[in-house]
Amino acid sequence: MLKVLIPTIMLFPTIWLTSPKWLWTTTTAHSLLIASISLMWLKWTSEAGWTSSNTYLATDPLSTPLLVLTCWLLPLMILASQNHINPEPINRQRSYITLLASLQTFLIMAFGATEIIMFYIMFEATLIPTLIIITRWGNQAERLNAGTYFLFYTLAGSLPLLVALLLLQQSTGTLSMLVLQYSQPLQLNSWGHMIWWAGCLIAFLVKMPLYGVHLWLPKAHVEAPVAGSMVLAAVLLKLGGYGMMRMMIMLDPLSKELAYPFIILALWGIIMTGSICLRQTDLKSLIAYSSVSHMGLVAAGILIQTPWGFSGAIILMIAHGLVSSALFCLANTAYERTHSRTMMLARGLQMIFPLTAMWWFTANLANLALPPLPNLMGELMIITTLFNWSPWTILLTGLGTLITAGYSLYMFLMTQRGPTPNHIMGLQPFHTREHLLMALHLIPVILLVAKPELMWGWCY
Amino acid sequence: MASRLSRFWPTLSRVRLSSALGSRCVSQTPNSSASGAAVASDLQPVSPAAQDSHGHAEVSPFEKNPDFHGFHHHDSFVDEWNMRLAFFFGISVAIVVGGTFIHYLPDHGMRQWSRREAERLIKQREAEGLPLMTENSYDPSTIVLPSSGEE
Repeated sequence: MLKVLIPTIMLFPTIWLTSPKWLWTTTTAHSLLIASISLMWLKWTSEAGWTSSNTYLATDPLSTPLLVLTCWLLPLMILASQNHINPEPINRQRSYITLLASLQTFLIMAFGATEIIMFYIMFEATLIPTLIIITRWGNQAERLNAGTYFLFYTLAGSLPLLVALLLLQQSTGTLSMLVLQYSQPLQLNSWGHMIWWAGCLIAFLVKMPLYGVHLWLPKAHVEAPVAGSMVLAAVLLKLGGYGMMRMMIMLDPLSKELAYPFIILALWGIIMTGSICLRQTDLKSLIAYSSVSHMGLVAAGILIQTPWGFSGAIILMIAHGLVSSALFCLANTAYERTHSRTMMLARGLQMIFPLTAMWWFTANLANLALPPLPNLMGELMIITTLFNWSPWTILLTGLGTLITAGYSLYMFLMTQRGPTPNHIMGLQPFHTREHLLMALHLIPVILLVAKPELMWGWCY
Repeated sequence: MASRLSRFWPTLSRVRLSSALGSRCVSQTPNSSASGAAVASDLQPVSPAAQDSHGHAEVSPFEKNPDFHGFHHHDSFVDEWNMRLAFFFGISVAIVVGGTFIHYLPDHGMRQWSRREAERLIKQREAEGLPLMTENSYDPSTIVLPSSGEE
């Protein structure tokens, strides 16, 4: 763990001491090296449990894929932001990359934490750099509203979580995940316990987001600059899923009945947000709502609490993280050239950017869960386990899959096909940097087809 | 209330922007008192040539540097080396070397071994005509049960 954490902390001196000319080069190279080292976490040394050299930071087959995704995403964020941050004064550029690096540090410590309170503190700590990125570097006036929604939705959910965790510490004497996994099931039989159950999960459901409490997401994703959107979609949503999976171990047997409304809300959310996607004019808003849709499926999979549900949830989280981030990068390339997110204004891009049309096509196919990509594998596992729980869910999940395919195709056709408007004929060609960015997003997705056991978690 | 403000604000600010700043618009965000005076004063000084929000002139960077890779606008040396290092560390190190490392990871939880072993045993038992699996996990004669009828 330290062999990744210390280089990440050393990113801060790298950022502030490099000469301005080489700032982006060195930070890109440094963060790619960290990403390469992080692959060593995939070598699990114990058969079924935690890999750690100390009791405070450990990895296990659930947190490892998410950690690798986090470390992989930092260089991608730096590559994506290079163009639009470059004109700013040098210290502001350094501050921006510092925020990204601090987000990375908090996320590594969050996913690697063994104490739930440490996870909670890092969960909250990630809010601060993200808030600063959204409100300082967002492009429209709505970013202030977006930052407010983002901060207060998450805080309102996580204050009950703090109380719930302190109660848990009181009753079990420990909050270490290493110990709690072996504890006796708690006696949960009163209304107070049910409220405690809700308190444990609401923070993560808001973060995922669950359909009823998802309003912060379209605002935050749209108003954030590209690196903010990338990290929000790819990793921060997964913090919610990861937290839920960790807490579920202790919440039985109440979850059998209490999860019911949340599963239904999640499934309904897939259809509703998918339908909203079909009516969007703003490209980033469409991708944001599609994130809500996919994470609704993940939430349902986790709440079902079966091995297939958990495995499907992890696979879908990793695959969605990469693909959603790729879509935001593509949307940003269109935005940087036309300064508009309206899809009607950047139509027919296939005629002027034919190679990029391949990236758009692949990213959209991955989004609509084309086999053999892991998006489909995760979705299928969750749909199967939901069907096992109740056959009626196939109506909702099947319709959801159909709508997902519909809006992914809609996104592709609206941006790539159709008549190319005259005002975008003279746009800059696609940069090598942007092609590299898309390749670094989509090659891991394709490689994961070959070795999905990296993502199955500890249930298999 | 904030949403009401944000509904009016773009129109209001656009009016102010076009009259006050003229053609010197470099910022995407409209002038708003909430974001302070941070808009035009401490961004880079604008040159007389029309600029978009990236700070570079409307002339494409490909004109000055036909091999522009998208990394650094003004210095082609830095741009090229940034491209080379990004590709090297991103593809050659992270994906190729990292992918090889992942490919050669040991068989965690003996999953692949168990699949091979099962296939081998099935082949062997089918060749010998034995049943694929016996019903009893243990030999029933070794199980000692307490006799019924005692206390």
